[in-house]
Amino acid sequence: MKKSVYKSAMSRVKTSENFKEETYRKLMSETEKTKQTNINKPNQKESIKMENVMKRKITGWTVGIAACAVLSISIFTMSQNGSSPSPQASAIASKPPILGKVAVNIDGVISEVSADGKSFKVGDLWVTVTDQTALGSKEPTASAPSEELLQKEFKVGNIVSGYTSQDVATGKVTADVIYNNMAPQKDVAAKPPIKGKAAVNIEGVITEVSADGAAFKVGDLWVTVTPETELGIGGPTAAEPSEELLQKEFKVGNIVSGFTTEDVSTGKVTADVIYNNMVPQK
Amino acid sequence: MYNSLELNESVRQALDLHSQSLIKIAFAYLKNIADAEEVTQEVFLAYLQKRPVFASSEHEKAWLIRTTINKSKNMLKTGWFKSRNPVPEDLSYLPKEESEVLQAVLALDKKYRIPIHLHYYEGYSIQEIAAIMQSKPATVGTWLARGRFILKEKIGGLEDEEICI
Repeated sequence: MKKSVYKSAMSRVKTSENFKEETYRKLMSETEKTKQTNINKPNQKESIKMENVMKRKITGWTVGIAACAVLSISIFTMSQNGSSPSPQASAIASKPPILGKVAVNIDGVISEVSADGKSFKVGDLWVTVTDQTALGSKEPTASAPSEELLQKEFKVGNIVSGYTSQDVATGKVTADVIYNNMAPQKDVAAKPPIKGKAAVNIEGVITEVSADGAAFKVGDLWVTVTPETELGIGGPTAAEPSEELLQKEFKVGNIVSGFTTEDVSTGKVTADVIYNNMVPQK
Repeated sequence: MYNSLELNESVRQALDLHSQSLIKIAFAYLKNIADAEEVTQEVFLAYLQKRPVFASSEHEKAWLIRTTINKSKNMLKTGWFKSRNPVPEDLSYLPKEESEVLQAVLALDKKYRIPIHLHYYEGYSIQEIAAIMQSKPATVGTWLARGRFILKEKIGGLEDEEICI
């Protein structure tokens, strides 16, 4: 059997002389790298574990101390309540929980004004306006206060708004700012009611006709038809009124329609327009 | 499992025993000694990192060959390998007949080249090659037959004479 030429040729193919050494060196360096990584990892884990343990310790101690503090305060309070319960309760009841605010709104209608005109009463509170009191809003975007909204004189019935930083519990404060001092709108009820309309429809059945035939009664209203009264439906598209729909003579029982601009409360008006005057269908 | 000393020793032994075989297999694949050596180094690195356990030395060699083939295939797929245009390996130092045969084998398609290499260089049987290449023995037999036929056409020889590669 012949020796394989291919095997002989492949065996003679030259490779690096120091391949084994180089490869082994490379493998060793990789091993070292892996070792280093493995050594570092547990250390990091340990340090993280230690940090976590410390955190847990601190949290535990904090919670414990807080719980002890709450417990001791509650025990102290309970023992205090037990020794003298009634005076404490009365004291709490007599004192309002909050005695004053930083700023309290003044808002309402003036019910009383002092003789000098510098103080007014809103509800149960007397408010004094001094030179220090700012009038109107000082906001950069606020418009200048009008005479109507911020009158110079405080009058009974005026609507005021503003605020004070003083304790309102005393019943007398000095206003820091007065935004508005305006007279109330006049009573709407005092105004006379509208007695008539611009136009009132006349519509119904004639119950009575005057002797001259120029007036008729529809319901409680006497309607007079004058030469000024327009007969029929006007307008460019309106059809010519028929004899049937607009009879010349007003008769009892006829159905009429139209309108007047006069005041119907007087009970007697002159018709502006009569659209229809027709005999009812049998 | 190995401890680190044993592992180093086993790697060193594998390096001594199989490095040349692995370089030649990779060379049969890549047709370049430098690339073949690089692939072989990667194979031993994988051996070190994965720490496989082998039933026998033959098992170990088969694993190393399989890994070399896989890594060579991966290198062939890489963009930089495809894009480059390397100078052909200088085989002028080989005797003429050997150089011709080697050039002819390297010119084969890789699916014929590797079974021929494993059969004629490593001396593996068809069954063993099939196991290494994870193929059917019949398929390996076909590859070997076709490879031989192509080589016979290239290298020549009498019709009744069996080709000697």
